[in-house]
Amino acid sequence: MFEIKWLWQNLQGNRTRYILALCLSVIGSSLTIANPYLGQRIIDTFIAGDDARQNLIDQRGLLIALCLGMIGFSLLRTGLAYLTTMQYERSSQNTLYNVRIYLYNKIQGQDMEYYDHNRTGDLMTKMTGDLEMVRHSMAWIIKTIIESLTIFVAALIYFFSIDAVLTLWLLILAPPVFVVAFLFAKRVRPMYIDLRERLSQLNSTTQENIAANRVIKAFAREEFEIEKFTAKNANFSKANKTAALVWLDYFPYLETFAQAFNVILMIAGGYLVIKGRITFGEYAAFSSLIWAVSNPMRNIGIIINDIQRFFASLAKIVEIYYAKPGIVNEHRAVEKRRYDGNIRFDHVSFKYDGTTVLHDVSFSVQAGETIAIMGSTGSGKTTIVNLIPRFYDVSEGRVLIDGVDVRELELDELRGNIGIATQDVLLFSDTIDGNIAYGDPELPEEETVRYAELAAAHDFIRKMPDGYDTIVGERGVGLSGGQKQRIALARAMAVRRPILILDDTTSAVDLETETHIQQSLRSLDHDCTKIIIAQRVSTTAKADRILILDNGRIIEEGTHAELLAKRGYYYDVFMLQNEGLGRQVAVSG
Amino acid sequence: MARNKFDVDENLESPFDIKHFRRAMVYIKRQKKPMLIAFALSALSAAIGLSAPLIMQHVVDVTIPAKAYEPLVGWSALMLLTIVVSVVLATIRSRIMTKVGQDIISEIRIDLFKHLQQLPFKYYDDRPQGKILIRIVNYVNAVSDVLSNGIINFILEIVNLIFIAAFMFAVDVRLSFVTLAGLPVFLGVMLLIKTRQRRAWQAVSNKSSNLNAYTQESISGIGVTQMFSREQRNEGIFTRLAANYRFEWMKAMRFNALIPFSVDNLSTIVTALIYLVGLLALGPADITFGVILAMSSYAARFWQPILNLSNLYNSFINAVAYLERIFETLDEPVTIRDNPGAKALPPIQGQVTFDNVTFGYDSGLNILENLSFDVKPGESIALVGPTGAGKTTVVNLISRFYDVSGGSIRIDGHDISQVTLKSLRSQMGIMLQDSFIFSGTILDNIRYGKLDATEEEIIAAAKTVRADDFIREFEQGYLTEVNERGSKLSQGQRQLISFARTLLADPRILILDEATSSIDAKTERLLQEGLNELLKGRTSFIIAHRLSTVKNCDRIMYVSNKGIAEAGSHDELLARKGFYHRLYTAQKMEA
Repeated sequence: MFEIKWLWQNLQGNRTRYILALCLSVIGSSLTIANPYLGQRIIDTFIAGDDARQNLIDQRGLLIALCLGMIGFSLLRTGLAYLTTMQYERSSQNTLYNVRIYLYNKIQGQDMEYYDHNRTGDLMTKMTGDLEMVRHSMAWIIKTIIESLTIFVAALIYFFSIDAVLTLWLLILAPPVFVVAFLFAKRVRPMYIDLRERLSQLNSTTQENIAANRVIKAFAREEFEIEKFTAKNANFSKANKTAALVWLDYFPYLETFAQAFNVILMIAGGYLVIKGRITFGEYAAFSSLIWAVSNPMRNIGIIINDIQRFFASLAKIVEIYYAKPGIVNEHRAVEKRRYDGNIRFDHVSFKYDGTTVLHDVSFSVQAGETIAIMGSTGSGKTTIVNLIPRFYDVSEGRVLIDGVDVRELELDELRGNIGIATQDVLLFSDTIDGNIAYGDPELPEEETVRYAELAAAHDFIRKMPDGYDTIVGERGVGLSGGQKQRIALARAMAVRRPILILDDTTSAVDLETETHIQQSLRSLDHDCTKIIIAQRVSTTAKADRILILDNGRIIEEGTHAELLAKRGYYYDVFMLQNEGLGRQVAVSG
Repeated sequence: MARNKFDVDENLESPFDIKHFRRAMVYIKRQKKPMLIAFALSALSAAIGLSAPLIMQHVVDVTIPAKAYEPLVGWSALMLLTIVVSVVLATIRSRIMTKVGQDIISEIRIDLFKHLQQLPFKYYDDRPQGKILIRIVNYVNAVSDVLSNGIINFILEIVNLIFIAAFMFAVDVRLSFVTLAGLPVFLGVMLLIKTRQRRAWQAVSNKSSNLNAYTQESISGIGVTQMFSREQRNEGIFTRLAANYRFEWMKAMRFNALIPFSVDNLSTIVTALIYLVGLLALGPADITFGVILAMSSYAARFWQPILNLSNLYNSFINAVAYLERIFETLDEPVTIRDNPGAKALPPIQGQVTFDNVTFGYDSGLNILENLSFDVKPGESIALVGPTGAGKTTVVNLISRFYDVSGGSIRIDGHDISQVTLKSLRSQMGIMLQDSFIFSGTILDNIRYGKLDATEEEIIAAAKTVRADDFIREFEQGYLTEVNERGSKLSQGQRQLISFARTLLADPRILILDEATSSIDAKTERLLQEGLNELLKGRTSFIIAHRLSTVKNCDRIMYVSNKGIAEAGSHDELLARKGFYHRLYTAQKMEA
């Protein structure tokens, strides 16, 4: 079975321990059956037996020995049980640990397209509830199956050794139990798949609500959100109830059958005793161990229930466990080369979800050059820069760095040669220092400060209560847009890569600060090719070349002066942004 | 700033006391009736279940020795009947309790969520999102069984225990004390591990919270991580967090597994003692064999409920670690709330007055000091100035996202702290720096501004902000599915969509906080045209660095040095040759 194989495969490194736990389980469960034997002997010899009084006088030693034996046995059994539990826990925790890390890496390794289609809440469900089911399957489900089975088989063997006919009579009940259990399993499975889906929806709704808390307050939409959440919560709750009620449809049968073992024993056993086929003592032996047959039967329902839940969760985990990203980072680069930084787009087209975003784009950038890209909203500027570090792959054409197609480069090496600051600034809930040094955690503190200065961030950081040690919230929520952008900029510069991409990184920064940043960029102490996406002419003016993008095509290309002279898109934007000043230009020019 | 990080444990201020359960009782009490019925059913089912051993006893002692076939069948049938009845009762009980358990956690979860909706920005700013998420979903799930079946079983087991003890004492007092002698030992063991066990489970919940926070953050930050090829390092951090979790779990298990261990052994020791004391110390002269036999069986029965109780106790302790977190969140103070006696703000005319306003996010560190200004209805105000000077703070105060520490803010003469939050915010359109896109269709995203908006209204709003064109270019148009992080939309397009959302709300006061920073100059120009028409008669506050956006505003305020350094129209400020002039000329281009 796939699920077992999967577990076995992930048990690697803990297989011995787990098998040991299973063996201990078998021994421990057998002991449960053997243990009452001593008590029975005390009763037979010293209390109920015909020579009890005499024995009590003659064999005091035996009584004490038996009592001590009982205690010793119990200590042995419970000690063993303790050990067993810990072995199960240890090996299931180890497996959980391994699978968790494996999944984490899988998630980290997915390409952007995967993230465009998978919600955070759903991934979180996989990493929490679903993983918990994996642990549960190992620490509880399998354990319970083995222990129930051992007790059941041991009791049966014992029963058969006493009397086969009565044992067979008892076994009459086994087939109906299995049939009911099978029917239940079939019916409950889709319920758990559904339940699992609703849990994921609840997680997604909640997660989005937390992430959107500002927007919700801004629109005073708390009630709407509560409604939305209440619906998802009710859905989840309903699915929980439905699954539980299905279980309760079958529970009465399973429970009745399990308890009916006593009835069968009574009627068939009684009959056999009366017939003289078995003795009273033998009947008593059956009676004292009948629980060992009925309890496992009783457990079947619960086991099946949990197995189905585990299957539903595993099906979700497997989605990510075996997911193959279109763009694979094998982390193989042993020695990372430093590129020169020549970039060439060779007839690149890019389609996404059926829409063509870039049409036959060609341009090249020499090492050390600064290129500015400008264009209308949605014209494909960000897409162009996303193709360089291979966040997406081209649909047609090639992107080349130093003459090599990026798809042929080792991904770690490629990305290790690019520093990017994106539009949507994402910081981590870490110190400012930790955020700036995100790409190079070994960065000495003076360097952090230096890059913060270059990014015009030092002044405001210094003024914060804990300076560079101030913890910024996730997404940098404690900071203004411009401040976040500058930290992201410092982060991108701090890695000193030969290619630096700035995607509209200074849009929320005031002009004075921006001028400072422009200067810093020009005076960086490492050679680097710069690609700067910007909306402001003041940002693009000093670039070696400017590309104007419209609807996925390059419509203008040239220097500031050339493009102004062209009187096209760039000129229009320039005029728009310099109205008032435009007049001065006209007068002085 | 006590901001929490993914790898920082959250300390609990309150020590454990029964109060957490008492608070949980509030929810349980609402289910009193079904729970009482369930309890009665359980008791009945248990009582009927008790008759089975009696029947068996009778069959063995009387029926079989008498070789009576018919009574044997009769007793068997009766026994089957008791089984069926007790199972049916138990099933009904479970049906009731399933509903009760789900309803209890459903209510806790909704209360928790409602409370979270009221918590200020600061709450969300101060901790990783994953830590909030896990409380609402996972922690609440974890306490479901304890709060429903757990309680009933707890009571049942105690009743059971008392019954058995009573029977026991009725048979023989001396041997009963022998049985009870195990109890102090057991309680001693429990007492010894109680605090440690509780701490251990707290640590588990802390570590799982950390692990979740980091997982969530890794998922949201995946782009940055891949960009900087930080995967391996993050794996290291994650591995450490996962190892911490495993460590604490194992520690907690060590205590947990100790309980069945001690109960099992005590029960055996006590039974052995009964034999020894009964047979050797007291002897047959003093005590009959029947009594010893009965007592040894009672002793085993007496310890069974104790074992069950201690298993329940284990889950209680585990649940408490979660309940503490849940109630801690419910106790989080709502700092911005409707003041007592707050009235609904009448339809806003648009006059906004800042009267000596002082404000700081952290006490002692003022961002604004004694700020006063007055905005006439319909006026458009631009806020400019260096980043971090407090522009966003000014607009945040108008929407009462924070309360002023000194002075007051009035809208049409009403102090905003004296009106209801809903009436205030629902009349304002605020477009924040981060344009959040909900997962769903573009249509739904715009509709968020006005929930009952018709499709025509939505399209009209999209047209006004010039978003209609690009939306129609998608195959599915307005029904295109987008999500929080998805790259289907460019940053500029996201801004346009949230712009349309804001406009749709038809606000009386419009606040744009860097709302157009990612929109190209040409689109912005078009947008401005549509907007000018719309802005007529509405008060607006615009924060922008692009001066082309700012220029046309009625009044420009230059925010710096904890206040307003300059204010006036574009021409006035240029003539003054001050801060604004310098800012403006920085844009001067060499042609």
